[in-house]
Amino acid sequence: MNTLTRDGLRKLVGEWMAAGKICVGPVRVKPGTVLFARLTSPEELLLDGWVRPANSIKELLLPRNETLYGYRVEKNRIELLDPPETIPEQIAICAHPCDAAALPILDKVFNWDFRDEAYNRRREATTVITLVCAEHDEECFCTSVGLAPDATGGSDAMLYDLGDGQFAVSSLTEKGRAILGEAEAHGGHASAPPVRFDPKQIARFAVDRFADPFWQAHSLACVGCGACAYTCPVCHCFDIVDEGNGREGVRARNWDACQFSLFTLHASGHNPRHAQGDRQRQRIYHKFHVYPEKFGETLCTGCGNCARNCPVGLGVLPLITEIPHAEPV
Amino acid sequence: MQNLYKPDLMEVVGVKKHTSDVKSISLRFQDAERAREFTFRVGQFGIFSAFGAGESTFNICSSSNWRDHIEFCFRKVGRVTEALWQVEEGDTVGFRGPYGRGYPVEEWRGKDLIFLGGGIAMPPIRCAIWYALENRADYGKITVVYGARTVGDLVFVDELAEWAKHPNVQVIQCVDPGGQTPDWSGEIGFVPTVFERAQVPAGHAVSLVIGPPIMIKNTIPVLERMGARMSDVYTSLENRMKCGVGKCGRCNAGPVYVCKEGPVFTFQELQAMPMDY
Repeated sequence: MNTLTRDGLRKLVGEWMAAGKICVGPVRVKPGTVLFARLTSPEELLLDGWVRPANSIKELLLPRNETLYGYRVEKNRIELLDPPETIPEQIAICAHPCDAAALPILDKVFNWDFRDEAYNRRREATTVITLVCAEHDEECFCTSVGLAPDATGGSDAMLYDLGDGQFAVSSLTEKGRAILGEAEAHGGHASAPPVRFDPKQIARFAVDRFADPFWQAHSLACVGCGACAYTCPVCHCFDIVDEGNGREGVRARNWDACQFSLFTLHASGHNPRHAQGDRQRQRIYHKFHVYPEKFGETLCTGCGNCARNCPVGLGVLPLITEIPHAEPV
Repeated sequence: MQNLYKPDLMEVVGVKKHTSDVKSISLRFQDAERAREFTFRVGQFGIFSAFGAGESTFNICSSSNWRDHIEFCFRKVGRVTEALWQVEEGDTVGFRGPYGRGYPVEEWRGKDLIFLGGGIAMPPIRCAIWYALENRADYGKITVVYGARTVGDLVFVDELAEWAKHPNVQVIQCVDPGGQTPDWSGEIGFVPTVFERAQVPAGHAVSLVIGPPIMIKNTIPVLERMGARMSDVYTSLENRMKCGVGKCGRCNAGPVYVCKEGPVFTFQELQAMPMDY
């Protein structure tokens, strides 16, 4: 199947849903808000024109709240209860290339040395169908971090909007072929944002000017809400907490964010990153220096969600464009 | 399928109260096979947990030669440690580990050992002291300088006396001025000052310095004056952790993940890292 009409795609989605697969795609959850959300009907899927959901598909692999295991206490005996072994198959539909590109990046964090089976089980159960971006907005900067509006990394299949109510389909992996069949069509228009900076320059600035007043000065507006990290396709920091009481409950993994003041607070009261500027620097430093040093890639896919969702106009691109000598290259 | 975060269940086989807010707990694996196969290096840490309260990170403060149990030591300061404070013999707690890079005790062979500790920093030094004493022929003179704010804040005091009985071991205890009791027989002063007064040559020694940042800051220049090379001076960082396995993203000091590449570092390594700890 080399092309699909919009209705044809909806019909397929309906079949997948009927087969018990969890289908996730851009949904207008309320006026003015589009999220990647679990579809309750194929009609909810937004297929008209370019939309940038406020969240990312990382939620399929790293849910905001995930039970690592349960516990039950009987006097001084404790029983640990495994979460369900099988994860239902889930399909992300109309992911952006910057969402899909996050998956191979996250794979590395969750598999270096220690393998994180909770993550890997969800990853294995996830199929990603990516829609090539035919438009971009002013927050987009995928081309600055080595990606493109038609980048295929992390995708199992690509859809190209042919503009006449039809998509060209290209199946890239076994998972893609399993649901869309053999397909190798391309076409349509890909809209690339201009290159805004060189990530190596940003890394150099973050390393050389680690203690620079720049970080404090440019994060005075930050309210530490963590929206940047929560909507980021690759931010993966988490907390582990007990949810329950002394008799029974679960040990859960919840999203966390480096912008929170408690994130690095020691029991002694010492906090290595006590000012918001230290935390903003950490976010840039991790994405452009720590991760590339460890894994050879930038921990940023240029989606622009951090800036779109920031209540005070910060985010990776707005902060980076304030860096001296980080003008367009 | 192996669950990275699922802890070993441990039976509490001993609880010791050191001060009004510090206890150490001894644990034995419930699973006999796991107990047999379990090994660690002194300096490594574990994630210990009280079910219903959560997990917390502590050094494994027993010697790696002790095969029948492990120990950890904590101060009661928060939700998890409040719960651990209530634990009694026979209770069950969780343990994940061992994690991180321990002390390179093989590289330390043939050298004198200088242990400098302040307050609650004794546990991660204590494991190395016992290890050295149990492998006594491998190491030269052992010097321990341990201080706390007051006499009541010193931990493992009975063991300090025991170490001092070993040949070629010098143990100096000190308390901050004003922290002494009428019958205090140790020194009065801060660890760096007391250590300098003792005039211990550090040129052929490995030093382990753990304590509050101000103690470490003032001890390093003394060690330099005593001839220590910063590549022979070690510490253990205490950055907050959740996963312990390089995933949760909070313990990095600069580009270094403390949970994986630490917690043990030489000061030469620390000097190359940005102030992020």
